[in-house]
Order: sequence, then C-alpha cells, then structure tokens
Amino acid sequence: MSDRDPLQTLWTAQEQEPFDMSLTDIHERAARFQSRIRQRNLVEYATGGIVIFAFGAIALETPDVGVRIGVALIILGVLYIHWRLATLAGAAAKDPSVAWAEFHRAELVRQRDAMRSVWAWYLAPLSPGAIVYIAACAFAPSVDLPFAARLAFALLGAAWVAGVFFGVAWLNRRRAEKLDAEIAALDHARE
Amino acid sequence: MRASLEQDARYAAAAAEFGGVLQRLARATEADRERRRDLLQEMHVAVWRSLAAFDGRCSLRTWIYRIAHNVAASHVDKQRRVNRPWAGLESVEQLASAQNVAAEVEDNEAIERLHRIIRRLGPPDRQIITLYLEGLDAAEIAEVTGVSPGAVATRVSRLKAELARLFREAQNV
Repeated sequence: MSDRDPLQTLWTAQEQEPFDMSLTDIHERAARFQSRIRQRNLVEYATGGIVIFAFGAIALETPDVGVRIGVALIILGVLYIHWRLATLAGAAAKDPSVAWAEFHRAELVRQRDAMRSVWAWYLAPLSPGAIVYIAACAFAPSVDLPFAARLAFALLGAAWVAGVFFGVAWLNRRRAEKLDAEIAALDHARE
Repeated sequence: MRASLEQDARYAAAAAEFGGVLQRLARATEADRERRRDLLQEMHVAVWRSLAAFDGRCSLRTWIYRIAHNVAASHVDKQRRVNRPWAGLESVEQLASAQNVAAEVEDNEAIERLHRIIRRLGPPDRQIITLYLEGLDAAEIAEVTGVSPGAVATRVSRLKAELARLFREAQNV
C-alpha cells in the first residue's frame, strides 16, 4: 500500500465544509450531554412514578384484597424493570478508545442479550401481577356474574396478556437472531 | 465536567491535525447535512472528552481514529433502523450504474459518488476503506479497527479494485 492510489489523492484533497467549533462550544456541548443524561433519567423515573401512582391509586380505591395484591405485584414488577433498565444503561457506557470491532461487538452483544432475555427482565416481572389482577377482577365478589362468565372473562384476559407477551418475546427473539448473525459476520471478518 | 488546560491544549492540537479526517469521516457516514454537522460536533466533543484519559498506550493518531470511528459506528447504529440496509459492493455497483454518470469526471461529483458508495457499505468494509483512503497502512488499520492485519490487507485489496473498476466504468459511460 505504499503507492499512492488516485482515490486516496481524491479523498484527502476533497473540499472541506465550513465548520467551526470553539473550545467554549465543546465545553457547553459536553455539559449539555451530561444534562441530557440526567433529563433522560428523570423522565424514566417520572414515567415509573406515574405508573406506580396510577396503580397505587387503584390499590387504595378498591376494597378487593386480590386486586390490591395484583396491583402491588405489578408495581414491584415495574420497579424491577426500572432497576434492570438502569443497570443495562449503565453497562452501555463503553470505552470509546478501544478498537472499533471491540466497541461494535460489545454493543451488538449488549443489545442481543437484552433482547434474548426480555422474558427474564421485562415480561416475567409483570406476569404474576397481571395474572393475579385479572383473576381478582374476574372473581371479585362485587361483580354479579355466573361462574362460567367469570371464568371466560379471566381466560380471555389471560389470553390477551399472553398474546401481547408472546408477541413482544417473538419480535425480540427475531431481532436477537439478526444480531447473532451480525456478531458472527463480524467475528468472521476480523479473522 | 471540569476541563483541564492540558486537555484543552491537547484537543486544540488534535483538532488542528485531525479536523479534516473527522470531517471526511462524517461525510462518509452521514448524507444529510444537518445530521452530519451534529455528528461532526459529536466527534469533536468525544475527542475532547477522551483526551482527559489519553494515556499513550497507542499513538494519538490511532486514538483519534478509534474515537471517531466508534462515534460514527454509534451514529450508524442509531440511524440504521430508519435507513436502507447495508449493501455489498455488488449491489453498490447497481446503484452506481443507475446514476447519470456523464459529468462525474469532475472531482466534486466523483468525491460525492465515492461518499455515496462508502455510505452503503456495511461493517467492517466502511471502516477499512475510509482508513485506507486516509492513507493508513494495513497494520495501522488493524490497530484502529481490531480486524486482523491479514483480513485488512485482503479486504483493502478487494475494495480498492472494486472501487477503481466502478470509477473506470463510470467514466466510460
């Protein structure tokens, strides 16, 4: 690669677009970056807070113990998901000075693992609360329905939740498989 | 984040030496002018931030290229959900032959054509070809990308032959 390729000459001689970024701009943008992270965390906590507040209000309003337990389990599930998201976001802070392939591979692996384990950190924590909540609503003493109708309501509710959960898991699994293929291609290309 | 004078001085020197490299990489990564400007600013900020931790375990040149390419990779990763998928050189060829290439002997158009081809390449071809075009040798490209020197040499040879062929064909149309 010692001979100068005409394309290299063309490349390095290309006209530069006007660009000016002072040290003050750099400092300000770096500070904005930190504040964006803080804002994003605040939004995530606020969203979690709203969900907990809404479900908490339901739990306080309803006299049914089963519904209260279901809501409490959903709140615990949401708290767990937030904790896991914070852990995953923390793990995303990568060293940008490593070689590109290591950097890129770490990101692909992180995304793949998060998608592959979506059952464990996203769906499973919400499942107990959803099941208890649906069952408690269906069999609440205050609802005047025959047993068959209550059972049908519970089963339909459970089927709907299961359908949504399986859909989420299936989409994540497909994406994880694509990422697996990308990781394999990257490993192959590095050798 | 508190900036040290030493960090600022290192950045100023690095920006003076590698500003053109960052700009060319940003152009090879992002076609949209506004997003490209944001990407370039992001690269400069990443370089400045990284220089607080620069410990000389590799050359400054390798360090800057790594930072810039990793920022570019993150940008592509964010954008690719809405963009077209990557292509191999075979399908890039179709893209090229579909263009009106009569006037592309002009340098500006040729360089834009080159950028269009590079933006369509997937990893690690995009990283390798941009580093090759900057004049890095196989060992240096391997150090920046983490791809083995042998694999770099093979890919560079194939990529430059294909690029040269695409340009020759374009000029003959």
